[in-house]
Amino acid sequence: MAQDEVLRVEGVSKVFGGLKALSNVSMSVKRGEVVGLIGPNGAGKSTLFEVISGNMRATAGRIVLFGDDVSTVSPDRRRRAGMSRTFQKVRLFESLTTQENIAIAAMQCARSNDDWRGEVQSVMERLKLTRLAQSYPAELTLADRKKIEIGRAIVGRCRLLLLDEALSGLTMDEADELVGVVLSLNTELGVTIVVVEHVLPVLVSMAQRLVVLNFGEVIADGAPREVASNEKVMTAYLGSKRGAFS
Amino acid sequence: MSDTAMSPANGVATSRINWRLIVPVAVIALMVLLPFVVGTQSYLLGIAVRAMLFIALGQAWNVVAGIGGQLSLGHGVFFGVGAYGTAILFNSLGLTPWVGGVLGAVASIAVAGLMGAATFRLRGVYFALATVAISLCLEKLARHFIGITGGDAGLAVRFIGDSLSAAQSRSPLPFFFASLVMVVAYYVLTRRLLRSNFGYQLQAVRDDEEAAAASGVPVFRTKMWGLILSAGMTALTGALYVQFYLAIDPGAAFGLGQAIQIQLPSLIGGLGTAGGPVIGGAIMILVSEVTNWLSARTAIHGLDILAYGAILLIVVMFVPGGLLGRTRRGA
Ligand SMILES: Nc1ncnc2c1ncn2[C@@H]1O[C@H](COP(=O)(O)OP(=O)(O)OP(=O)(O)O)[C@@H](O)[C@H]1O
Ligand SMILES: [Mg+2]
Repeated sequence: MAQDEVLRVEGVSKVFGGLKALSNVSMSVKRGEVVGLIGPNGAGKSTLFEVISGNMRATAGRIVLFGDDVSTVSPDRRRRAGMSRTFQKVRLFESLTTQENIAIAAMQCARSNDDWRGEVQSVMERLKLTRLAQSYPAELTLADRKKIEIGRAIVGRCRLLLLDEALSGLTMDEADELVGVVLSLNTELGVTIVVVEHVLPVLVSMAQRLVVLNFGEVIADGAPREVASNEKVMTAYLGSKRGAFS
Repeated sequence: MSDTAMSPANGVATSRINWRLIVPVAVIALMVLLPFVVGTQSYLLGIAVRAMLFIALGQAWNVVAGIGGQLSLGHGVFFGVGAYGTAILFNSLGLTPWVGGVLGAVASIAVAGLMGAATFRLRGVYFALATVAISLCLEKLARHFIGITGGDAGLAVRFIGDSLSAAQSRSPLPFFFASLVMVVAYYVLTRRLLRSNFGYQLQAVRDDEEAAAASGVPVFRTKMWGLILSAGMTALTGALYVQFYLAIDPGAAFGLGQAIQIQLPSLIGGLGTAGGPVIGGAIMILVSEVTNWLSARTAIHGLDILAYGAILLIVVMFVPGGLLGRTRRGA
């Protein structure tokens, strides 16, 4: 397989009772890419993240991470192998401080000679969390909580980052700042990113490629321009038939 | 357990006095002096032993339940296996409790392993219910196998007089120091645990299992080791308990009342904190002495249970995290 393929989803289906949340989904992500994953509510975006991260097992299909089939590998081992994710609704360790939240992941993923303490400090600096190091999540704004979750995700040799609605609920300024941070992870640290986001203009400015899910199926996969003019996509986004992204 | 202290002062103030340790050190010093103040035969020493055994059980439970968030109602199992195991091995084989206690702890750890394997796929209330079921089973077994356990009446440890090798003494003094050592050791262990990788794994699992897994924490293994550590500590306390009281019965070992009492010190003092079970347990014993005295005067029984319930209710309503709340976790 291609050396620079970080993630391959092969014919993945996920059934909840009678509901087919994912239906024969295939996609591939190359090293260094920023891929946007879009689709209407209930399209299966979060479910796809659950399956890729190992939090849920696919009903059918395979997940190949960094060249290895991880379909039956536990989520914590996938994380230690370099795959991280955030949750649509931020999930932090509420009884631990900002610094501890980030350090936990760093400790799990560190190898014996790693300076994980130093890494925690530099990640907090990058995310402008240093002055909140000793604060507890409940005391913080949503934007800071999201940043902690991202910090927790990128420490410890993260190579592939899945962001589920990283910007939702943020003010314009907060969103702008976070987009900058996320892009810097890609350009400066070389982290490959798959991001779910509803605000499409923002996503188009971030991603080199868009994958569109609708009713659990991939209906388009390509450069933002192509995808935006794709007919299936326009129909999926009813009410904005004139061009999904404008 | 690697030392992973992350406090801001870490590495800066190593040579200076850690003022946060003043209170624990002062308490320990006062406890060491107690026998010389009240006399070595004082009934107060007996009360202190009772209190410290109770505290130690609370500390043991706190490891998996308070720090790890796995609300076990089955700790009577580990306590009972430690206590019965030590007593049975001594009575029937003459095995010294120093070894018997360790074997009891090993047996207890084996039980914990089975219990964990069977229940840790379950979450929250299901885990708690499964642990109750297991302890009720053991209670039935203890009542049934009269030849080994003495049945309903329980088991009396064969008393051979003052003996170090049999860990027996007419005076409460040796038990006072033994239980003091145990409580201090458990306290130090809990403090270290809270700052260790394993302790952070437990806390992460407690706060959010899926987020813990997404952070690289092996959730099942973390719960399992937490239960095993906690079970071992509980069983050792059971062994000391049976040496002090020289008796154990199914209710005291496996009963639901015991399972609930084990939880109270941490709930009152502060779940998941190092100092919580110590303060909570001390308060409970003080209260129980007062209520026992009142019960004797008024012939109303069960005042202690009533008082525990009232205290727990007040704590839950006004200081939900316990007297030493979350942010003073290291205390
Ligand atoms: N644990 C679950 N059990 C049952 N059904 C589920 C579960 N999780 C998701 N679903 C269903 O699967 C479908 C896909 O949900 P999913 O959360 O993946 O969508 P999404 O694209 O992330 O939507 P949104 O944009 O609203 O976040 C929905 O119909 C949802 O109700
Ligand atoms: Mg979603």
